[in-house]
Amino acid sequence: MKVQVLFFGATADETGEREIEISLEENVKANRAFAEIVENFPQLKNHKLLFALNQEYVGGDEIIKDGDELAVFTAVSGG
Amino acid sequence: MKKDFFELTTETIDVGEIARRVVPANCGATVTLDGYVRQFTSGRETLYLVYEGYEPMALKEMEKLVGKARGQFEIENVGIAHRLGKLEIGETSVCIAVAAPHRRAAFEACEWLIKELKRTVPIWKKEVYRDGEIWIEGEK
Repeated sequence: MKVQVLFFGATADETGEREIEISLEENVKANRAFAEIVENFPQLKNHKLLFALNQEYVGGDEIIKDGDELAVFTAVSGG
Repeated sequence: MKKDFFELTTETIDVGEIARRVVPANCGATVTLDGYVRQFTSGRETLYLVYEGYEPMALKEMEKLVGKARGQFEIENVGIAHRLGKLEIGETSVCIAVAAPHRRAAFEACEWLIKELKRTVPIWKKEVYRDGEIWIEGEK
């Protein structure tokens, strides 16, 4: 199955990507999926990362579904 | 009737307009935060800022915050506007207006909302200096 992965700010600069499509195995949990993404972009390990699934912060146990929107970003700094 | 609103914009934020838009008939005070771009942070000069947001999630998170605030403080309407893109020194980056029957709750809710916004709403700030630039990660 395929999902979209979004990067913003520092994670977009680190990966050189803003949006990519990746393939994941069926029924994979969110924490596993995000670990896989970080393994593919090891430069992200220099940052404290936050993860979102379909525009909500992830707990980790959510099951990823085909077409889901994942996002990887650093601690926020708005305001 | 609740008249909350949440906006992300690349245009100038009119703080007075945001403040007036939240006022219902049963309220007596609106507390408005005008957060703007600081020129000197710990002695280092900022030339300008660039804000980026995960827009749909940022709007949802703002709405969630207001729901939580309403559970804790006696407030009526809340308006939040956050600027994105390039901002010059002194320009408003964030505006939070809280209308309440009485001022104390409005002050407390406004302070709580900006603190939580800085912690949870997916927006990032890049500081650009004469000799480089850096994405700020987390609150400073």
